[in-house]
Amino acid sequence: MWATNLRIIGVVLGTLALYTLIANKIPQVQSDVPRALTLGANVTPEQLVSAGDQLYHGAGGCTACHGLGTRAPNLLTDEKGQGPIGARCGKREAGKDCKAYLHESLASPRAYVVAGYEPIMPEMGRILSPQQLWALVAFLESNGGTVDVSASDIPSSTTSTTSTSSTPSAGISGGSTDPMAIIRGAGCTGCHKINGEGGAIGPELTHVGSRLSANLIRESILTPDAKIAKGFEKFKGIMPKTFGNQLTAAQLEALVQFLVSHK
Amino acid sequence: MVDALHLLQAAADTTGAYRDFPWIGSRAAVWIAAEIHLMFAAFVLGVPIFAVVAEAIGIFGKDQRYDRLSKEFTRLLLIAYSATALWGATLTFLLATLYPKFFAYLLSIFAPSVWVYGAIFFFESFTLYLYYYGWDRWKYGRAKIVHWCLGILLNIWGTTVMFIADSWLTYMMTPPRDITPETSPANIKIWHAILNHTWMPINIHRLIGNVVFGGAIVGAYASYRFLASRTDEERAHYDWMGYVGNFIAMSALIVLPFAGYWLGREIYQYDQSLGITMMGGFMSWLWVIQAFLIAVLFLAGNYYLWVGMGRIPGAERYRPYTKWLLVVLVLGALVWGTPHTMIADSRELAAMGGSHHPLLGALGVMSAKNTAVNLMILATFLSFLLYRRANIRQVVPWAKTGTRIQAAMFVIAAAIVLFFGIRGYFVEAIVRIGYSVYQVGAVLACIVFVTLIDVLMARGAQSLGAIQWGKMPPRSQYALFILAVTFTWLMGLMGFARSGIRQHWHVYGVLQDMTPYAATPALGYAAIMISTCVLIFLSLVGFIFWLGGLAEKSTFVPSTVEAPHVGH
Repeated sequence: MWATNLRIIGVVLGTLALYTLIANKIPQVQSDVPRALTLGANVTPEQLVSAGDQLYHGAGGCTACHGLGTRAPNLLTDEKGQGPIGARCGKREAGKDCKAYLHESLASPRAYVVAGYEPIMPEMGRILSPQQLWALVAFLESNGGTVDVSASDIPSSTTSTTSTSSTPSAGISGGSTDPMAIIRGAGCTGCHKINGEGGAIGPELTHVGSRLSANLIRESILTPDAKIAKGFEKFKGIMPKTFGNQLTAAQLEALVQFLVSHK
Repeated sequence: MVDALHLLQAAADTTGAYRDFPWIGSRAAVWIAAEIHLMFAAFVLGVPIFAVVAEAIGIFGKDQRYDRLSKEFTRLLLIAYSATALWGATLTFLLATLYPKFFAYLLSIFAPSVWVYGAIFFFESFTLYLYYYGWDRWKYGRAKIVHWCLGILLNIWGTTVMFIADSWLTYMMTPPRDITPETSPANIKIWHAILNHTWMPINIHRLIGNVVFGGAIVGAYASYRFLASRTDEERAHYDWMGYVGNFIAMSALIVLPFAGYWLGREIYQYDQSLGITMMGGFMSWLWVIQAFLIAVLFLAGNYYLWVGMGRIPGAERYRPYTKWLLVVLVLGALVWGTPHTMIADSRELAAMGGSHHPLLGALGVMSAKNTAVNLMILATFLSFLLYRRANIRQVVPWAKTGTRIQAAMFVIAAAIVLFFGIRGYFVEAIVRIGYSVYQVGAVLACIVFVTLIDVLMARGAQSLGAIQWGKMPPRSQYALFILAVTFTWLMGLMGFARSGIRQHWHVYGVLQDMTPYAATPALGYAAIMISTCVLIFLSLVGFIFWLGGLAEKSTFVPSTVEAPHVGH
């Protein structure tokens, strides 16, 4: 009986050891607590790249789209034979060097949309601090290119980790009250279709005025999860809740009146 | 008096929010206590379901062996209940002393439910005593039915207790959206906190999971007794018991992924970033390990059935099919375990030549994985079916037609699974997600209708010989041990996934973990913790089984009556 008992103990311990070993052989990724980003005047390119790396794979949420090969261009690997982003960023827009292009693509992603992709990227300046944006630029440059971001590029006034924009908003698309400029500038067409333009993740807006009153449209823009359109429950939580901070009052009203007129 | 109260209040305010535990740290201490408490809780909730079903088969099928089996396990429950309560008390004391402010926060919301929890635990314990000690007194006629109803009542108490505890942990994961860090816990209505996004999905997932776990532990117990048996009759009894445990565990396991899918969907609906953290973020490798463990479960479960066919006269007709079933299971496991959306650093991405492996990337997507797992479920069901009909020859005039219809159903279900699996590569993600419903629907429909036809076809069937219970090679019993260890480990792993997606939050987005242990550890550390917990739990269960053997003799009674298959 002792032999049987030992065999049973052997099977149990062997099974546990196997599972523990396999789990220790795969890449070990720990989820660290986000740290406040404080970049002093003497910040080095290495520090910037390291901070940008953490943002890219963490709080920035970049990997949700970039790297999947379908929603957004690959950045860390080759994209259609042009190399990683650091190698191609200086050739994207005429007259813009790599640093300027990358900062623009983060702060105003709809200024230049890569052919073959939808304008779905949010304006990262409304999610991340200026320091974080520059750290991301440095990290992206380091992938195939040369890092030329320096301390002089980085504004020293604020050191917050995330800026959910408590400062007064200048509005989307430079404060324009042209409804279609607002719709494109805010990236609505990344998910909503209107007049044949846009995606299908959110409800179509072409005839939204026949379904919703002005008040409901306003509520849907400011608090998108308050009421979810039937059939789109799965996408609850996707629409940003920041338009109340991003749009000026004039822009919001122009947008609401434009949409309510779409019967 | 008032001054004294003020002094107490001041003392409370200056008390630190956290204390550390010597040697292993507060996180590891709470982890071990919570995990082992949960494993015992799953055992004492899963086994009563098993016991009440076995007693019902004994009553309505007029088969005393099931009744004795049920009693044997209820006896083990008595000791397991004490262990559950002891670990529960340890967990409470650890939380109250190591995380006092967080504990106070939870209590200020959930205090009434804690009182109800305690009261129901009393009812549950006394119902268990009545159920066990009344077994021989209420043995016949109407009294037996009343006794069986006590078993049902025991399950109702147990399920209610679990639902209450689930509300606390699901609140930590998915607190209602209108609750913010500024919300005073005193202003949070208890029902509002209980009815959070993941409460009911977790309840259902755990209910089914407990049945699986109970069946697996029963199987391990039977296999131990089988290996220790001194007579053929005793060996036959425990062979049969092991088969029943495995049957129940594997049957419930087939349903479990559907409950898991519901839970995952609710997590995504609550917060996209929680879902992404779970499936595509730092936890993405966890699902590869999970796929490996489930592959072990499928392979060990099927292996046990195939070896078991050696003791069934007539089963040799089906032996040639088993190698093809093995091929389907192995290929399915390989596809299911293919990594896909992994966090990789620049060097790894460059080495791979892209975000996905150029060759294997296509197998790592949901279309391929859903197809693989559905085909594995179909293969396992076919194993059960062959086992069921191994020693009979159907005599109904439509037997051949029935078998052809069954075969056609398998082919159609597999074709539907493959069709939507391949088509999934050519449509958008939102359309592709919907395809999994058709695949699951086809498999479930096949299982239901094929079983129905099989039951009707088996009416008055000619026996090719009695099952020779006990004539099993010892290696088959070790498969049952591997199943029990794997189920227990898998439970620990999924517990880590569920709890870990909160990351550095006690209550996600509301109450932050400010301890030095706030970072969520990597899978290697988690695996060591899980293995430690499983080892402690299995050692204690072994001790309980040994105690059960000391207290009373086994309910095994030598019998010449042939034990039927489950479901016959």
